[in-house]
Amino acid sequence: MTPAFEKLQQALKQLPGVGYRSAERMALHLLVEKPAQLPALVAALESAARTVRRCSRCGNLAEGELCNLCEDARRDGAVVCVVEHVPDLVAMERSGAYRGVYHVLHGRLSPIQGVGPADINFAALEARVRSGEVRELILALSNDVEGEATCHFITQHLAAETAAGGAPIKVSRIGFGLPSGGGVLYADAVTLKSALDGRRDYV
Amino acid sequence: MRLRRLTLQNFRNIAMAELSFAGRQQFFVGPNGQGKTNLLEAVGFVTALRSFRTADTRLLLAQGQREAAIACDFEHEVQGATKLVIRLHGEGKEVACDGERVTRLADHLGRFPTVVFSSQDQQLIRGAPALRRRWLDLTLAGTDPVYLHGLQNYHRALAGRNQLLKRQAATAELAAFEQPLGAAAAALVAARRRGVAALAPHVAAGYAQISAGAETADITYAEDSAPGDGDAAAWHAHFARTRARDLQFRGTMSGPHRDDIDLRVGARAARDFGSEGQQRSLVLALRLAQVSHVRECTGIEPVLLADDVLGELDPTRRRRFWAALGEARQVLATGTELPDAELGAWDVFRVAGGGFAAEAGP
Repeated sequence: MTPAFEKLQQALKQLPGVGYRSAERMALHLLVEKPAQLPALVAALESAARTVRRCSRCGNLAEGELCNLCEDARRDGAVVCVVEHVPDLVAMERSGAYRGVYHVLHGRLSPIQGVGPADINFAALEARVRSGEVRELILALSNDVEGEATCHFITQHLAAETAAGGAPIKVSRIGFGLPSGGGVLYADAVTLKSALDGRRDYV
Repeated sequence: MRLRRLTLQNFRNIAMAELSFAGRQQFFVGPNGQGKTNLLEAVGFVTALRSFRTADTRLLLAQGQREAAIACDFEHEVQGATKLVIRLHGEGKEVACDGERVTRLADHLGRFPTVVFSSQDQQLIRGAPALRRRWLDLTLAGTDPVYLHGLQNYHRALAGRNQLLKRQAATAELAAFEQPLGAAAAALVAARRRGVAALAPHVAAGYAQISAGAETADITYAEDSAPGDGDAAAWHAHFARTRARDLQFRGTMSGPHRDDIDLRVGARAARDFGSEGQQRSLVLALRLAQVSHVRECTGIEPVLLADDVLGELDPTRRRRFWAALGEARQVLATGTELPDAELGAWDVFRVAGGGFAAEAGP
């Protein structure tokens, strides 16, 4: 192997989900097996690096100042769904069930991994709420210790705020339980407990 | 559950062993250091995919080998005839049940119960509270995945709060982690109390059978701190109240991770007042209670692994302990000498240098 090849392999290995062998395969593929694909990839990387950034309002991917969701006038800008990562937002969008806007934290509180409030996109959420534009917060964070702590942190900070007009902000957290179309039989014990704890009156 | 066939490969000092077990009790006899306990360790490994001797799976591989394997044929109350194959290598372990790969530990836990009786067990009485908590946690988690999940949640929230205390973090961040910590503490203490209450009659019954003395044995859950109603809100308030002190100590100084289990014989603390014989009887009673608990919760009779415990008991206790085990359970036992004839007929295996030779039956 040559020094330049090894440098490329090292760089590829830094990417999430890529190990030493995969990095080697990718580098070989790009340089030797299908070199014709290389210019298109380089161009795509350069153009994306130039244009893609975080939406200044919600943290989603954007090419201008705001992302297409924040710019979409048909969406309800007063209802904000808080998610941990961009793929979570994409999953919510795929459901097609949600017509509000988002706020992406790009992480969650995790003292063990050294992630505090200053390391996630929380100050921007606080600013949005303080500006009075938010009427309702929907917390769609993961169902574990760190997710719950982050929900609690957000609620503590923002529950006292009011929407424009003085009405208190409504805060809710999404439910946890059985997958749709899934029977009780195949759910694991912990999911079933979650579903039981989160049961609702049925009328 | 009955273990009918056991195959080991490169497991500690056992290069290769293929053993068939026809009867209900098997005895492995030989001098020390030949591989008796290694064999029990391999059988015990199937229960929770961990060794009862070490947390480091790599130590289980024979020297210079990259992979070890444990294969068991069970007659199983729930699953019928079942073949379990476990492969161990440097990076981890793979489990296949009847050829199907097991991917979630929660799916596996509790399906192949074993209970180890070890000569180290007296530490349960004499040692630190952590050993008793561990015994209780393993006993309850072995039959209840919700308990395991709750226990993991508590320790994760606790690690988060401790990290924040160490860093002298702001109140809001600490309060955020005290929320899940409080909920997990309330759930954990309630589950442990229920668990100890369910185990207590078994401990008392087992002790009475083994000691045949006038005194009775009793276990209770002893809480380090018990705030208010013990619900999530009370625990949450407790951690808020102790925050200032914990910030000084840079660690969570109170909570279920400091709890203990009181073991009493004749209403006196077994650790301080129990005689050698009483302590030996009590520790066997704790293990027997574990056996009964597993059967009650899962309907599966665990396989008993008795590592060098028979030799340590006086003849009367040994006979009574044996009677307490009952007729239904399979026992794999080790010792440097063969047991008395009065303990029934054994399949005997002579152990030498990691090899096992079946002795012809009587």
